Amino acid sequence: MKQQTEEILTVNSLIIGYRYGRKKIPVLPPLGASAGKGELTAVLGRNGIGKSTLLRTITGLQKNIGGSVLIRDEDTSHYSRLKFARTVGYISTEIVKVSHMRVYDLVALGRFPYTDWTGRIDRTADEIINDSIKKAGLAGFSDRIISELSDGERQRAMIARALAQNTDILIMDEPLAFLDISGKFEVLRLMKELTASGKTIVFSTHDFNIAVTNADKIWLITDKGIIEGAPEDLWLTNNYECLFDYEHTGFNPEDGSFSFSTACTSDIYLEGSEGKKKNWTVKALRRNGFRISADKTQPFVRMLEGEEGWSLVHGDEVRNSGSLYDLLKLLRQYNNVPT
Amino acid sequence: MTDGKNITGHISHTFSPSVLPVQKLIFTGFIVLLLILFGLDLFLGSVSIRPADVIRSLTGTGDETVQTLILKFRLPKAITAVLAGIALSLSGLQMQTVFRNPMAGPYVLGVSSGAGLGVALVILGFSSGMGPASVTAGGSWLLVSAAWTGAGAVMILMLFISARVRSIMTVLIIGMMLASGISAIVSILQYFSDESMLKAYVVWTMGSLGNLSSEQLKVLAVSVAAGVILSMASVKMLNALLIGENYASSAGLNVTAARIIIFAGTSILSGSVTAFCGPIAFIGIAVPHIVRNMLRTSDHRLLVPGTVFAGATVMLISDILSQLPGSEKILPVNSVTSLIGIPVVIWIILRKNISSELF
Repeated sequence: MKQQTEEILTVNSLIIGYRYGRKKIPVLPPLGASAGKGELTAVLGRNGIGKSTLLRTITGLQKNIGGSVLIRDEDTSHYSRLKFARTVGYISTEIVKVSHMRVYDLVALGRFPYTDWTGRIDRTADEIINDSIKKAGLAGFSDRIISELSDGERQRAMIARALAQNTDILIMDEPLAFLDISGKFEVLRLMKELTASGKTIVFSTHDFNIAVTNADKIWLITDKGIIEGAPEDLWLTNNYECLFDYEHTGFNPEDGSFSFSTACTSDIYLEGSEGKKKNWTVKALRRNGFRISADKTQPFVRMLEGEEGWSLVHGDEVRNSGSLYDLLKLLRQYNNVPT
Repeated sequence: MTDGKNITGHISHTFSPSVLPVQKLIFTGFIVLLLILFGLDLFLGSVSIRPADVIRSLTGTGDETVQTLILKFRLPKAITAVLAGIALSLSGLQMQTVFRNPMAGPYVLGVSSGAGLGVALVILGFSSGMGPASVTAGGSWLLVSAAWTGAGAVMILMLFISARVRSIMTVLIIGMMLASGISAIVSILQYFSDESMLKAYVVWTMGSLGNLSSEQLKVLAVSVAAGVILSMASVKMLNALLIGENYASSAGLNVTAARIIIFAGTSILSGSVTAFCGPIAFIGIAVPHIVRNMLRTSDHRLLVPGTVFAGATVMLISDILSQLPGSEKILPVNSVTSLIGIPVVIWIILRKNISSELF
């Protein structure tokens, strides 16, 4: 298990926003939050609330209006540009497409804060670059042209570049956006491996489910500031409320599930043994507005063994179906006929 | 990592110096080609001189008229071609990288137009009371400083705009608007200027490599050398800027300082060539693409020297072609570079989906 985590990154009454000439326009009240060493922290908040602005401000790409960002209790505004680049790495959704640029060249740019004025790669740097490529799961990709990579591979190459920068902290702005499902999990797995090896990652995402099921900590940005805690803490304190409109999204604060059905209209009893088949049957029934009842109902669903399918039992009448799709059709017919 | 992996898997990338053998070959080829073309540029011209006489005059012997023609006319012109080719191509390479736009060049930024406005003001405006002789003689220095001032002013304006506008594409569009605005001003100047001035200006707009005095050639050589040194010093910054200013900045690059250094080099390079040789089109856009495709790299440590050689080569070819060897007529070099450059630019547009892939 993880040891007592040390707070490596602290956001202290940080005011983020924009400057127009001398005018300072804050987008949120002062923010306070922290991330522990080796933790995966997900930044959540509705669209446009300032997730990206917060991450850009932490990374120094955008100036803060007030407050401070501390790394190991040291104010980063005292950091030199190079020291900061050796401490914090940044990855965004920005797609880098440069023709004739090899994965190796891209990752080599991560050595920027360490190389001389020509950017010469020596043997040590070369080892670090190859090691970063390998860690990102891109062994054998060194000579591949980045514009010919898949989106997931390219994002991993960007992460490899940040790894070559050899920073303790990685700030990732929507690293999973624009990736297909396998790409998303590819990158997410890499992020979890990196935190397991001691890196601290703070990332923003639109994917609520990925965040609450994988992050060690959530920074939930609300209009009143950041609420932080384990994903489950925020469930218990009903804090995700600000992200969803329960009534219209069918969000269930009891277990964190979503359903877009009309409210559960009827109860149904499900007979059969536990397991994968039952789980999916329950899901299908719920999606169609049925609550699983503990008492026998008429009609009820009986799961048959093995490949046999399902039966819809109503008194003596038993109708079989080979797929959930057919079963649901049968059920709908029942519902339409007044009993 | 298990031991088994090390046995079965081969090492994907072993450390090697950054220049591949094929790239070395290309560089050698360029140097040889450059020497041959430089020689050809001296041998070929509207007046046919036997190669033996050319060599004699270079060594200081031989017929005096021939010697004058070679040393005072063909040699400075060949050197000017080399310098102009280097300067325009390098400024194009830097702009394409900084603006992350494959179509960027001294023109789209408005830098050449700025230099051109300076020149137009001198030729069409101030000297209108002096007569055309003052422009070609002592007025040349006035011409140069006006071009630099114009280029510098546009550069400062673009710097100011790009500090306000984060989007580099917006900056580019503003640059193009600026260029159009400047050419409108020049049109108005043309409308009010007298005929002889207008002719002098139109001749300048055709571009010429052959009208430089030895004093002007020295200034051009010093400026181009300074620009090349600045470019060499910027290779690391240019490489970082390839992946965008956000990533470059997060890797520790001072983006504003880098922009100032690179823009300074660019304005020295394109401004001085525009002042001395007039607008020479399409070399700045086309040559960097030729080099990238030949060397197959995005690394400016190779692209900068590659562009130096290729720019000089392409410009020498243009100059040789403009003399129409064997005939007595001479074409404006600007037309030749356009005819060489435009197909390359069209090829870039057709080959790539510009919006989805840069460079």
